[in-house]
Amino acid sequence: MIKKIFLVGNPNVGKSVVFSRLTGVHVISSNYPGTTVEFTKGYLELEGEKKEILDLPGIYSLDPTSPAEKVALSLLEEHPKDEIVVINVVDSTNLERNLLLTLQLIERGYPTIVCLNMCDDAVHRGIHIDIDKLEQCLRTPVVSTCAVTGLGIKLLIKRIKDAIPLPRPKMSEEERWLEVGRIVREVQQLEHRHHSYRELLEDASVRPLSGSIVALLIIYLSFLIVRFIGESIITYITDPLFYNYYKPLLEKLASFLPERGFWFHLLIGNLISGNIDFRQSLGLLTTAPYIEFGMVLPYLFSFYLILNILEDVGYLPRLAILLDNFLHILGLHGYAIIPVLLGFGCNVPGIIATRILESKRERFIASTIISIGVPCVPLQAMIFGMLGRFGGFYVSGVYLVLFSIVLILGLILNKFLAGYSPEFLVEIPPYRFPSLGILIKKLYFRIKGFLIEALPVVMLGVLVVNILLFLKLFDFVTGIFAPIITGIYGLPKESIIALIIGVFRKDVAVGMLAPLELTAKQLFISTTLLAISFPCIATFVVLWKELGFKDLIKATTIMFAISIIIGSLLNFFIFG
Amino acid sequence: MNQISLVQMRPNQKGRVVEILGGYNLQKRLSSMGLLKGKEIKKISHIGLKGPVVVKVGKTILALGYGMAAKVLVETE
Repeated sequence: MIKKIFLVGNPNVGKSVVFSRLTGVHVISSNYPGTTVEFTKGYLELEGEKKEILDLPGIYSLDPTSPAEKVALSLLEEHPKDEIVVINVVDSTNLERNLLLTLQLIERGYPTIVCLNMCDDAVHRGIHIDIDKLEQCLRTPVVSTCAVTGLGIKLLIKRIKDAIPLPRPKMSEEERWLEVGRIVREVQQLEHRHHSYRELLEDASVRPLSGSIVALLIIYLSFLIVRFIGESIITYITDPLFYNYYKPLLEKLASFLPERGFWFHLLIGNLISGNIDFRQSLGLLTTAPYIEFGMVLPYLFSFYLILNILEDVGYLPRLAILLDNFLHILGLHGYAIIPVLLGFGCNVPGIIATRILESKRERFIASTIISIGVPCVPLQAMIFGMLGRFGGFYVSGVYLVLFSIVLILGLILNKFLAGYSPEFLVEIPPYRFPSLGILIKKLYFRIKGFLIEALPVVMLGVLVVNILLFLKLFDFVTGIFAPIITGIYGLPKESIIALIIGVFRKDVAVGMLAPLELTAKQLFISTTLLAISFPCIATFVVLWKELGFKDLIKATTIMFAISIIIGSLLNFFIFG
Repeated sequence: MNQISLVQMRPNQKGRVVEILGGYNLQKRLSSMGLLKGKEIKKISHIGLKGPVVVKVGKTILALGYGMAAKVLVETE
């Protein structure tokens, strides 16, 4: 009786895409090893019964050699072998390496069905695999699939019941490799191919000189395109919608409400020279939706569009190789660039992705650096939107300050934290042409995830602040913090409200600064402080979960210390 | 025949893996990724002086840290 189905396979063979096809549950998939860092559950209807399916992080072998592999295996070993079926997802373009795990699975008596994935890619590369012969050699069902298009998935589901354990004789590692070699020679035929452009490009992007040129070009272009798309959406879509259609509606509503009353204050906020101002009014129906939909969402869309393309093409591990030397200075290795890049979208997935780093030490350094020095899209959108009006000089200034903090903090942590950071060892995927369907789906789920998480907090934040402002309860708080805020940071004492709101969400906090009419220097200092000081509540929770309480306190202390030091440095020395 | 480590190989040079120094764990880890004794190997590149080494074994492209790469010995012609 099958109770559970496990998806097991080497990293980056497309387990998550197969999983999405089988269950209809969307999981983020990318073209690099380690996209899935925790297991995902879903259900598949099999012969009229619902079966649980688990998508496990990738493993190379059943004898675990890394902590991540150990976790994946312990899940597999929890259940009696006759109650589970293993769908062993195999990369057709790299049969030899993948079959080692297949043989181990069969040898240990797991009922196994082999899902020969990416068969279309194999054909492109001139690799032909005789499926019937492979099935005979392994004595277990083999189905060829192309999960991205859905080809073969129906047959895969149909044949799950045929997975019957047929134990093979136990082999030593060496014998197993010989057996793999024998099987591959028997079932696989290679057409002779010359080096393709794709392979040339793959090689060029990991050589020091050509690779650096490619990297600079890609980073620069990505930045330009993200800005261009984000700005275009604001100019041609969201701003016209807000100003031409939404504002007249609000004005009508405003005319029904008494101007100095509670409801007017709550919903519309303050009129700026007699008008609703989406950036400054601070009402629940004015500034709150404008910040999220009119300022943040356009950039979030363009950022994730470009990130998704880079992920699915398979570029990120190559960038990791090039940055390995630099990241070693910070006590990390090259692969840490992937969580950092994800952190630029939102710190939360970035910190979760630090699980692809092996040691606790690396994970602490990476998480601390992300939560202090990596501004998320909502924060960046606001920095561009507000500070950008004073000139690009100030915007680049914020990034320069953040980068210096990351550099110095990394150096210090690397010097004083006990332990060492393990070395880089990673498989580099081939470049793949991203599937449009998967790109769109991933974009949709990332943006939906953001809105579900952000909108309620934004609304609640603005609601609470507005009530407190209306009741004039903030005067007490601003009084207490005035010495720090004015004395050390040189900011008007009301900006403490923004810094406190920053605990909930950074974008709203920057929005709170708008009505204060700050000078360029003050806005520069306050946005930098918002970036480095206490993380937003979602990041805080995830730091706690990922690092544990002790390290959370450590990280938070570092944050407070840095924001005091940097704030005063900026106030007294840089701007003098 | 001449035995050198992956670090000492030149980019584009080919060889055959003859030995992996270092612990049992490293050997097992590399071999499960397809890098083991007897395999043909081609070095693709080397980033910086102490940086990672990129190699191709079979159809797999691997990036190894400098210290690890120094432990893989190959025979070149």
